[in-house]
Amino acid sequence: MQKLTAQIKDAAKKLLEEKKVDLVIGFAEGSLPLRGTPFFARTSEEADKLTWSRGCENNLANYLRKREDKVAVVAKGCDVRSIVALIKENQINRDNLYIIGVPCNGMIDRKKVNAMLGGREVLAMEENGDTVVLKGKDFSETVNITDLLHSSCQDCRYGNPVVYDELMGELLPEKGEDDFADVKEFAAKSAAERRAYLAKEFSKCIRCYACRNACPMCYCEECFVDCSQPEWIGKSAANTEDNILFQVVRVFHSAGRCADCGACERACPMGINLRLLTRKMVNDVKELFNAETGVNMDDKAALATFTANDPEPFLVKE
Amino acid sequence: MSTKPDKVGAVLVVGAGIAGIQASLDLAESGYYVYLVEKSPAIGGTMPMLDKTFPTNDCSMCILSPKLVDCGRHLNVNTITNAEVVDIQGEPGNFKVTVKQKARFVDPEKCTGCGSCAEECPVKVDDEFNQGLNKRKAIYKQYAQAYPNAYAIDASKCLKIKKPKACGKCLEVCQADAINHQMQDETKEIAVGSVILCPGFEKFDVSQLAYYGYGKLPNVLTSLEFERILSASGPFGGHLQRPSDGKEPQKIAWIQCVGSRNCRIEHGYCSSVCCMYAIKEAVIAKEHTHYPLDTAIFFMDMRTYGKDFEKYYDRARLENGVRFIRSRVFEVMEADDGSGNCRIRYSNEDGSIGYEDFDLVVLSLGLEPASEMVELAGKLGLELNKFNFCEPPALTGVATNKPGVFVAGAFSGPRDIPETVMQASAAAAASAADLASARGTMTKAKEYPAEKDVAGEIIRTGVFVCHCGINIGSVVNVPEVVEFAKTLPGVVFADEKMYACSQDTSAQIKEAIEQYGLNRVVVASCSPRTHEPMFQETLKEAGLNPNLFEMANIRDQCSWVHMNEPEKATAKAKDLVKMAVSKAALLEPIDGVTLDMNHDALVIGGGVSGMTSAINLSKQGYKVYLVEKAETLGGIANRLRFGMRGEDVPAFVSDLVAQVNADANIKIFTGAEITDVHGFVGNFETTLSSGEVIQHGVTIISTGAEEYKPTEYLYGQSDRVMTLLELEGLLAAKDSKVTGAKNVVFIQCVGSRDEERPYCSRICCTKSVKQALKVKEINPDANVFVLYRDIRTYGFFEEMYREARNKGVIFIRYTVDNKPVVESGAGGVKVTVTDHVLGVPVEINADVVGLAAAIVAAKDTNTKLSKFYKVPLNQEGFFLEAHMKLRPVDFGTDGVFMCGLAHGPKNLEENISQAKAAVGRACTVLAKDSISVEGKSAFVNKKKCAGCGECESVCPAKAVQVDPEEKVAVVNEALCKGCGACASSCRCGAINVKGCTNQQLVAMINAL
Amino acid sequence: MKFEPKIVAFLCNWCSYAGADLAGIGRIQYPPNIRVIRIPCSGRINPLFIIKALRHGADAVLTSG
Repeated sequence: MQKLTAQIKDAAKKLLEEKKVDLVIGFAEGSLPLRGTPFFARTSEEADKLTWSRGCENNLANYLRKREDKVAVVAKGCDVRSIVALIKENQINRDNLYIIGVPCNGMIDRKKVNAMLGGREVLAMEENGDTVVLKGKDFSETVNITDLLHSSCQDCRYGNPVVYDELMGELLPEKGEDDFADVKEFAAKSAAERRAYLAKEFSKCIRCYACRNACPMCYCEECFVDCSQPEWIGKSAANTEDNILFQVVRVFHSAGRCADCGACERACPMGINLRLLTRKMVNDVKELFNAETGVNMDDKAALATFTANDPEPFLVKE
Repeated sequence: MSTKPDKVGAVLVVGAGIAGIQASLDLAESGYYVYLVEKSPAIGGTMPMLDKTFPTNDCSMCILSPKLVDCGRHLNVNTITNAEVVDIQGEPGNFKVTVKQKARFVDPEKCTGCGSCAEECPVKVDDEFNQGLNKRKAIYKQYAQAYPNAYAIDASKCLKIKKPKACGKCLEVCQADAINHQMQDETKEIAVGSVILCPGFEKFDVSQLAYYGYGKLPNVLTSLEFERILSASGPFGGHLQRPSDGKEPQKIAWIQCVGSRNCRIEHGYCSSVCCMYAIKEAVIAKEHTHYPLDTAIFFMDMRTYGKDFEKYYDRARLENGVRFIRSRVFEVMEADDGSGNCRIRYSNEDGSIGYEDFDLVVLSLGLEPASEMVELAGKLGLELNKFNFCEPPALTGVATNKPGVFVAGAFSGPRDIPETVMQASAAAAASAADLASARGTMTKAKEYPAEKDVAGEIIRTGVFVCHCGINIGSVVNVPEVVEFAKTLPGVVFADEKMYACSQDTSAQIKEAIEQYGLNRVVVASCSPRTHEPMFQETLKEAGLNPNLFEMANIRDQCSWVHMNEPEKATAKAKDLVKMAVSKAALLEPIDGVTLDMNHDALVIGGGVSGMTSAINLSKQGYKVYLVEKAETLGGIANRLRFGMRGEDVPAFVSDLVAQVNADANIKIFTGAEITDVHGFVGNFETTLSSGEVIQHGVTIISTGAEEYKPTEYLYGQSDRVMTLLELEGLLAAKDSKVTGAKNVVFIQCVGSRDEERPYCSRICCTKSVKQALKVKEINPDANVFVLYRDIRTYGFFEEMYREARNKGVIFIRYTVDNKPVVESGAGGVKVTVTDHVLGVPVEINADVVGLAAAIVAAKDTNTKLSKFYKVPLNQEGFFLEAHMKLRPVDFGTDGVFMCGLAHGPKNLEENISQAKAAVGRACTVLAKDSISVEGKSAFVNKKKCAGCGECESVCPAKAVQVDPEEKVAVVNEALCKGCGACASSCRCGAINVKGCTNQQLVAMINAL
Repeated sequence: MKFEPKIVAFLCNWCSYAGADLAGIGRIQYPPNIRVIRIPCSGRINPLFIIKALRHGADAVLTSG
C-alpha cells in the first residue's frame, strides 16, 4: 500500500509538473482509518496528500464527466470500467483524460468492521498479507481481509484496470468467472417469497436518491422519477411499490452500463440490498447480450447491438 | 400540315402484381401519371397468396400491404381493375391504348368493404385465391387486405345476374347502396407515352403429367396450395393439415422441377424460384408443427444462387434437418396401407431405385408465361421466345423489340420477387427515360385552404362514432358510446354516423368543425391503417392540421371480434374512445418539413452498371457525376469477351464508354476516389481524392466486385491452371494453349460455397458451360469436363446446359468433402475426381484447367463507402439492401442506392437491369422540387439531453447524431422515419416523437 | 364474479396492429379484455410504458411487433 501510495504521488507530481494535466483526482486520507476521501490535486504540493489504502472505495468516475480541463485520475478496476462506459457515452473525452491505473484487490467495508467489533471504534489498521489487524483504544483484532471486503469487491473479477495510461504496481492474477450464485439463489425462490423480500427491503427506502447520486452512470439532467410530463411513477417514499419500481427502472437504465462497483449500495443510508437488483441485471446482460460493462473500448452499447444469435426468451414462439 | 405529337407524360402498366405496383409507385413518385390495368378485381398478384418469403421468412402480406395501400391511395396512380388491354396503337411517346373493363357490379367508390353482402350471399364458389381449398361467395373480395377495399360480383355465378328476378339478398343488406346488377362492361381509350408489361406468370398445369398423381391422389398438392395451407389467412387458419382428411402430416415430400427442365413438354427452362420456395416451405412447415416433422426435398440440382440463398439452404440442411435427396422421381402412387399416404418411386444418383411413403407430397410447380398476354403480344408484334416468355433483347434488361414497350417480372422469364421488383424499378426508369420532356405534365396535386392556428386554444374535441352499417351498430351500442363521449373532458360535440367514411359524412364533419369550432377530431370506426388518411384529408379540407385527428378502432378490433358479447364490446368501445379523446387533447399540429434539394446525381463506379445508371439519369434530364477509381471506364466487363447469350461484350462496353463520354450531362472523374462525405438526401457533399467537392442530391453506389484469386488447384503454380476470366481472354484470342488443348477441365465453386465464402457466385456455372461450348466450337474433338457440385444454369440458361451435354461436354459431380485434386503431371496437369455415378476416381490429363473463381466483394472500397454514406455491408462485404425482398436497390439511408456486383454476384444482363432500377428509385427522389417529410419525427429537448448517444446507436435511419459542439442529440427530420426507437431508449426522456409523445401514450394508459 | 383481466397491448402499426385488424376481418372471436395502443414501431415501446400500465392497474401488458 505504501509503495503504491508513493508511486501514485510520484506519477501525479510528474504529470502536474510537466503540465500534462491540470488536475489529478485521487484519494487523500480521511480523518479516520478506512475513510479514504476523494481529493483534487492541482499542484505538485497538493499531490503529496494523495494516498492509496483499503478505504479508497469511491468510484472516481463520478468526477470526470464533461470536463474541459486535462485531468488525471487514480482509478481502480471498477472506476476504469465506469470510465470506459462514460467515454463511450460521450461523457468523457479520452484525449483529455490520463488514467493512473491501480490494480485493486478489494476495499474494506466499514459496516462489516463495525459489525465485527460490535461498535468499538477503529483507530488504526495494519495489513499483514491475508489478514488485517484492527486496533482501537484498548483492543487489537486480527481478521481475514476477505471477510471484511465490500460484497462488490468479493464478487469483483476486474480488480485490474482494463485501460490505463500508466500502471501503478503490478497486475494482479486474473480471477475466474462470476457464477452469480446469489442471483440464482434469489431467482430460485417463489414469486411470493421474492415479492415479500423486495417489499421488505424497499419499504426502508426514504427516496433520498443517494444511490442515484453515487452512481457514476446516473447523470441524466432530469431523472425519470422527477419527470412530471408524464409522471411515470409516484414520488412519495410511502409507497413501497413505487420504491421498487424506482429501483427497477434505475437499474434497468444501467443495463450494460453498470460495472457493479457497488457505489449505490454503499451510499444507501438505509442499508438496502441494492446489488441484488444490479447483479441480476449484470447477469442478464451477460447471458442475453453476451456483454459486460466497460471491459474494453470496442464493444458497442449492449442494448443497441443485435445479433441473430441473441437469445430472445421473451418471444412468444408460434 | 402534320406535326409530331407531343409526348404524353403518362405510362401504362399492365398487371398489378408486385412488379406493376412497384413500377407504378416509382413512376408516380417520379412525376408521371400511371394507368395500372389489372384483370382481377384487386391488385397484388401472386404475392398475397404466399405465406412467408425467402430468405428472410418475412410474412408476404405484411411486407406487401404497405405498398398496396400506397399504390391504391396514390393520386397519380389510376388503378383500373377487372380490366384488360385489348390494343395498343401509336408510337413511343404517344400510344393510344384500348382497355376493356368488365362490370364489377359493385361501385368501389361506394362500397365500404364491410362484407355484409357476402354473409348474405347464398352462392358458394371455389375460392381461387385459396387455390380452391375452400369456398367463397359469388359476391366476394379477393383477399382480406385487397385494394380496392371493395367487393365484386362473380357474374358467372351470381343468381341475380343470370335471372334478374332471382335472389338480390346482397342488395337488401348493403346500406351503402353500392351494388348494381345492371352494371355494363366499358371500353376506355387512354393516352400514354410508354408501356410496361408485367402480367406475371401462371403456374404450370400439372394435370398433363399424370405420373405425379395430382388430381388422382388427394394428398398430392401443388406448392401454391401448400402456401395457402401454411398461411394464417388460409383455409385452415395456418394449421398444418391434409386437406383431404384433416390429418396432421408427419412426413412431407417436395418434388422439384415439376414442369421445369423438361424438354418433353417443351418446358426446357429452369423456373429459378422453386428450389428456394421448396426449402422455405419445408422450413416453415417445421415451424408450424408442435411435433417433429419430417421433410424431404427430391431434387436434381439445388439452385440456391441468389443473395443469401446458399446460407438459407445450409441452415435448412444443417440446423432445421430438412432432408435433401438428389434423385429423379418416376412416379407418385398411393401407399398400399390404406393410410391415404403417397409413395414416391425414384432413382438415386447411382441408379438404384428407392421408395418412400409420405403423408403429403408437394409438387414444386414451375412458372409459365401469362397466357392471355400471348394473344396481345401477337397483336402488338411483340417477340416472345420459344417458351412464350417476353425475353428482353440482349443487354437491355427490360426492353422489348417494340420501342416504348418494356417488360418486367416473370413475363420476361421466371424470376423471384427481388428480381421482379428490381426489374419493375428498371422498367420505370427505362420507360421514363424517353418521356423526360413530359414529366410532371399529367400529374395532379391537391390544393387545401390555409391552416387555422389552434395554438393556445382551449381543447374542443368532436367525436364521431360510426355504425358502419350494421358492422359496429349491431354489436356495440353506438348511441350509448356517443352519450359517454359527450361526458369526456374537452369533448364539445359527439354524434353517430351510419358510415363515417361516406362522402356526405365527410361534409358533415367539416360542417361540425366549422359550427362548433372543433380543434380536435376523433372518429370511432374502423382501422386507422385503412381510413386515417381519408379522415385526415377531411381535416385538411376544413383547414385543420391533419394531425389533430385520432381514431378509435371499434370495428376491426371490437365489434367484429366480440360479436357475442355486446355489453362488453360496448364497454370496450367506450374505453377506446376515452383513450382516443385523452390522446387527442394532447395532440399538436405537426408541420411538414421542407428542405432544399440538389437535383444532381453522383454515381460511384464506372463499370457497366455505373455507366448504365449515368446514361439513364442523363436521359431523364439530370446532371451526373461519374467517379471511377481506375484510369479507364468499363470495370470488370473490360475482361469479358463473350456474353451469356452470345453478345459482343467488348463492342457493347466501348459503345457505353463512348455514350458516356459524349454526354454533356455526365461529368466523368477517372482515377478518383471518395475521400469524404457530408450531408444527407438532397444535400450530399462528397469530396474526391482530387480535392474536388461535388454537391449532389442522390448517390448510386456501383463499385463492382473482383474475381477471387485462387490459392488452390495449382493456381499460380501451373500456367495451365487459370480463372474463367483468364481463360476467356485466351479463348477470344484463339490462343494455341486452348485451341490445341485435347482435354479441358472446368472446376466449379472455386472459393464459393465454402466456409469462408458461404455464398454462390451465381454466374460461374453458366459461364463455364458457355466456355465449354466455345472450346467445343473451336475444337469439336476436345474433351471437355465440367466438375461441379450443382449445375446452376437457372432460367433459360438451362438450354445451354442441355446443348453442352448434347455436344458431349462431360459433367462430373463432386462433393465438397471430396474435392477434385490437381497435380502437376507429365506434359500437363493431372486432375483426379471421384465420379458421382460410378463412385470411382477418374483421372484426367488436362491441358487446360479453368477455375470458376468466386466473385468477391471489393471489401476495402465498400467498407470505406459504407462508413461515408452510413450504409451497411453484409458479412461477405457486399452492400446490404434496405429489404432483401422489396427494396433490393435501396438502403435504409435515404437518397443512397446501389446496383451491380457491389450488391452481389450477378451477370451482365442482371447488372444492367439493376443499374436502371437504381435510377428508377433515385428518380423518385430527384423528381421532387424539395425534400418534404410529413414531420412525424423525433425531436429533442436540449435541456434534458445528456448527449450519451444511445439514440444515435439505435436509430435505424441514421437520422440522429450527437452534435460534437453542443453535446446534445440533433434529429435530421429529412431522414427520421418516426419509429421512436430513440425515444424509448432515452433514459433521460429527452427525445420524443411528434404525434406519439410519451405524454400522449401515457394519457392513453391513464384513460383506462 | 369471474376475474376479468385488463390487458394493455402495444401493437406495431405495420404488423401486429394489422394482424389485429385481420383478426377482425376474419371475425376471429376473442375475449374483450384487451385495449390496444397503436404505436409506429415496436421500437417505440419504452419499458416505462409497461411499468406505467401495470402500475395503473393493468393485469398484463402485451407488446408485439
